[in-house]
Amino acid sequence: MATLSNMMASDQKASEETAGSAAISVTTALSLAKRSLEGIRVKVIGEVSEFANKPGYKAVYFTIKDDSSSLSCMIWQGEYHKLGIDVKIGDLVEVTGYFTLYAKTGRMNFMARVIEYAGAGDLRLKVERLAKQLEAEGLMRSERKRPIPPSVERVAVVTSPRGKAIQDVLRTLRRRSPYVEVFVVGVPVEGKDAPSWICEGLSVADASDCDAILLVRGGGSYESLMPFNDEQVARAVAACAKPVVTGIGHEPDNSIADMVGDVRCSTPTAAAEAVAPSIGDLQSRIASAGSRMGMALQAKADRMQMQLSALRARPIFIDPQALTGNLAMRIDADAERLHRAIPNAMASDERNLANAKGKLASLAPRLFERQRNSIALSAARLNDLSPLTILGRGYSIAYDDGGHILKSIDGVNVSDSIQVRVSDGTIDCTVEGIGREEA
Amino acid sequence: MGEETMGSLFGEEQTAPADNMTFKQGLDELEGIIRALESNQLELEESLGKYARGVELLRSLQGKLDDAQQKITVLLGEFDPASIEEVDDQLS
Repeated sequence: MATLSNMMASDQKASEETAGSAAISVTTALSLAKRSLEGIRVKVIGEVSEFANKPGYKAVYFTIKDDSSSLSCMIWQGEYHKLGIDVKIGDLVEVTGYFTLYAKTGRMNFMARVIEYAGAGDLRLKVERLAKQLEAEGLMRSERKRPIPPSVERVAVVTSPRGKAIQDVLRTLRRRSPYVEVFVVGVPVEGKDAPSWICEGLSVADASDCDAILLVRGGGSYESLMPFNDEQVARAVAACAKPVVTGIGHEPDNSIADMVGDVRCSTPTAAAEAVAPSIGDLQSRIASAGSRMGMALQAKADRMQMQLSALRARPIFIDPQALTGNLAMRIDADAERLHRAIPNAMASDERNLANAKGKLASLAPRLFERQRNSIALSAARLNDLSPLTILGRGYSIAYDDGGHILKSIDGVNVSDSIQVRVSDGTIDCTVEGIGREEA
Repeated sequence: MGEETMGSLFGEEQTAPADNMTFKQGLDELEGIIRALESNQLELEESLGKYARGVELLRSLQGKLDDAQQKITVLLGEFDPASIEEVDDQLS
């Protein structure tokens, strides 16, 4: 470690070498030293022996050492966070940067720009290669990615049962979506067995009747997130039938599991927020459903009311008489016609009758004249035909004593009494003889 | 008069009691009812029946949200749900 006494010693030596020339100020001397130090840019490998990352500090201060030396290092807070690593004492790291000098204390520091775990370069290369391979296989295609179903009610969380991630997820779900049922699938997420455990956990979660799977892990070093860069884990994520929401590490971390999963969130909390609608959202959805339903029914009622009003406005309902009015008027008109028709008809009948009477009176004498003539004729003929008329002409009729007309001599015997009818009376006679007339 | 009786009064088809359905099923059915009501294709009697059913679903869904308590089931690994309570206690 560079100390003030060291610096002063070298300063002394410098002044000996420049004997005779004027002494320079400490500030000038240090800026000379600073300028030459900052030209030395190196990558230093060492084990972290001290580490201080205090909130409010502009920089993170740490020390790396090997067996015989140690070097104080610093890195600006912002840059350290961008690296997304979590350096711990004992880590073997490769620090790239330059030496610098803090003029106020004259203290030398190594200003780090990049901190990597030793061998991380190889690791990153390996992960990058795997990512390329899986991408080429189509495992990261956007059309493979399924959206989170709109109403998730059961969520399986695959993560360490002891980590901060499960706490974050459960607390977030309880706060935002307490109606969600959680299946905890606890698996180790670090160590060489972690990948196969995570695969097992994913398959248990996928077999459950959850609506979505959360694969989460709190922040950690690049190395500690390696199980989520594992090929088997990536394939297990891709094979899940249920949508997988990932929240692995913190914002800048991007694991292969994130790339293969359906929805990528930056943290476990963000994943829990993304997987289920908040109770507030659901409540407003239900409230809006209620008001939409009310409005729809109201609109229906209004439309029917309008239809009814339109019907009610029809003449028939305004003036019920209208319904019978026409008919009544027709009846009136018919009655009127009828009243007028009867006397008219009677008068005309009377006239006809008088006419007929006149005609009949004039016709009647002539009518019977013919009949009278005809009767006279008939009576004359009848008279001609009468036996009495024949007797008048000199004929007579003989009757036996039984009153029967004698038509033959066989009807009488000698001495029978017979009666002879002549035109003006009868003559009683006795048969004295019978003579047959020869034909 | 209960909503179910009203539903059957208006010739509504027999449906499962809303409380026996999952939240999603209830919400799906409710949104279907709203679409049907908004389509204005229904008879008034049918509209009233659907409305009654919708109110039943609404009430049940709201009740489910109001009573919602996080349910945790451990499928794999050792996890103590009480550990969350402890953290919460520490936070509050």
